[in-house]
Amino acid sequence: MGISKSEAASALTDIETAAGRSRLMKGYHHAAPILMVWGVVWAAGYTAMGLLAPERWGVLWLVLDVIGVGSTMLLARRGKGTAAPGQGWKIAAGVLVILVFFAGTFALFRPESTDAAIAYPGLVTGLVYAGIGIAFAPRYLWIGAALFAASLVGFFFFQPWLTFWMAAAGGGSLFVSGLWMRGA
Amino acid sequence: MAELDELIHQPLRLKIMAALHAERDAEPVEFSRLKAATQATDGNLGSHLTTLEKAGYVEITKDFVGKRPRTRAALTQTGRKAFRRHVDYLRAVVEGVDGD
Repeated sequence: MGISKSEAASALTDIETAAGRSRLMKGYHHAAPILMVWGVVWAAGYTAMGLLAPERWGVLWLVLDVIGVGSTMLLARRGKGTAAPGQGWKIAAGVLVILVFFAGTFALFRPESTDAAIAYPGLVTGLVYAGIGIAFAPRYLWIGAALFAASLVGFFFFQPWLTFWMAAAGGGSLFVSGLWMRGA
Repeated sequence: MAELDELIHQPLRLKIMAALHAERDAEPVEFSRLKAATQATDGNLGSHLTTLEKAGYVEITKDFVGKRPRTRAALTQTGRKAFRRHVDYLRAVVEGVDGD
């Protein structure tokens, strides 16, 4: 029995779609612990900001970012079954680019209030995740939207407790997203 | 020479084989992920997996993670070769080497 050219083409498309979906699910699964780590880093950082003097915030985030990037590279290496070679370094470079973007935009626009500076990382991180979601993996769009919305809601409605709000809502969003991805 | 494998060519079985073939090193895939990748129902997926297992194309393992039962499937060497042969056949048809 033979099949027509269009039937064969359609079968090849089905193969590509199913394989792509399978790789996407596996990618979510491997990203889950990374998101959970960043949820903890985020929650620890913002909670500490609420308790420490602003002069210590720079060192605090430097230490936490090093921990976060180091953990990300280790976890990315562990999930190398799906990741292309050098993926850990690409993720680290991506985080570095985001941090440089933060520093650059802070230097340019100099937020007038501390609260704006506190909420701003949530907006940028939300934007990055939403971009990844639109381009590659749809679940990140929802994570980005949650972070973006949580940052804005905190800035406009919870300013007296903004750092703690960002710790709970931002860190919580990332951690819960990790749990969601783990089931993929 | 590449040839049509009628067992694999059934639409859902084709998707199952594609999803399993996408795994590097023939790593087993959990039932839930396979279900998401193929967009099949539990019953349908289970029955086609059994067909593929009987043909020797797929190996199914059942175990427990804590108290939760886990079913995983992986391609066998025979299944991998059969899938590649089938894909080669499909490509040959599309490129006009065979078919209409």
